[in-house]
Amino acid sequence: MTALGMRWRSLATAISVLAVVAAAPLAAQAGRGCEATRPTVAAVQQAMDLALQTAQALDASGADMVVLARAGQDLSRYGLRWSHLGLAYRDERGHWRVLHKLNACGSARGDLYRQGLGEFFLDDLFAYRAGWVVPTPALQAALRPLLMDDVRVARLHVPAYNMVAYPWATRYQQSNQWAIETLAWAADPQAGNRQRAQAWLRLRGYGPSVLNVSALERLGAGVGSAHITFDDHPLGPRMAGRIATVTVDSVFAWLPRQGLSGPVHEVGR
Amino acid sequence: MKRRLMVLALAVSLAQVPAPVLAHGGSELSALSALPVAVSVAAPVGLLVSGAVLTVVAVEAASGVTVWVLERASDSVQASVQLSAGASAVLGASVVVSAVATGWVLSVAGEAIAFVPNALGEALLHNERITR
Repeated sequence: MTALGMRWRSLATAISVLAVVAAAPLAAQAGRGCEATRPTVAAVQQAMDLALQTAQALDASGADMVVLARAGQDLSRYGLRWSHLGLAYRDERGHWRVLHKLNACGSARGDLYRQGLGEFFLDDLFAYRAGWVVPTPALQAALRPLLMDDVRVARLHVPAYNMVAYPWATRYQQSNQWAIETLAWAADPQAGNRQRAQAWLRLRGYGPSVLNVSALERLGAGVGSAHITFDDHPLGPRMAGRIATVTVDSVFAWLPRQGLSGPVHEVGR
Repeated sequence: MKRRLMVLALAVSLAQVPAPVLAHGGSELSALSALPVAVSVAAPVGLLVSGAVLTVVAVEAASGVTVWVLERASDSVQASVQLSAGASAVLGASVVVSAVATGWVLSVAGEAIAFVPNALGEALLHNERITR
């Protein structure tokens, strides 16, 4: 066997051992999101109070549709204030409903859900606050009927989920990415597939957040989480640890800047 | 052998590297959002008040619906709570009622086991999976 062959064999062995060893924490981690952990009374009260406060504020805003965010996790180390967004609308009965994409139990799959504000905030939040922007009347009018249509709302959805999906690729789709691609299609009926929706987003000046993720963190995430992968990112920035992805904060900066919405509003703390 | 041990040690250390904080970011379908919600309640006025302690005297599950019968020890007055599937309670358990702006939280030993919405709370709750 050549020296090169030896090296490849060693590498293959190392990878297979790594895979086996990593399997134990992976299994535990994959199941963690599904464990039937019960919330405290205070957590339920705070989440439902926030849902009520948000509903009252949205009612008072006069809007029929908003881009709504929650702070599910402390992402301040990445310079981020919010973790997840959904597209919320007022239904025929005057109740606010949120369309959003969720990843169950750390799996590699995402699905769309229509939930109340209660469920949206009953998520073990890092901070009990809500943020939203009100799109222009034209954008609201285009998005709201789409959100009420189960077929159309899923048109740009793909189940292959990656929490740090590259914004300009179509291999995976994370939750915030589904939301803005769907927003793009509502704004431009020609943007009815993901490539076109992404082209529209570029044309309208959307820029993702660029997160600095160390090599060790990337490796740790790669072996430990089915819902995180970096293989759709361009090699250069990826090796440099510069991971571009769609974040709430980047969306909240972009929509008002482009005149597609009003400013960011918040309730809670 | 030594090389294999080194590989194993490396693998262990890598497996222990924490995933980025993003790994636990906010788009997961959490266990919290699966808190059972009451779809109907039959209870005498005054039974569901903050601080009330009720005992689980019956649990019935059929056709995707669970019914709990809760009883106040002092006068044996009962409430019947119908919940979404997946609700679980132990017979004889002491359930504490906490009144909040949007309804009542039922808990055992400080952990919420179900939410009973009032009219305000009902308007805030809806759970529908769109894609499969």
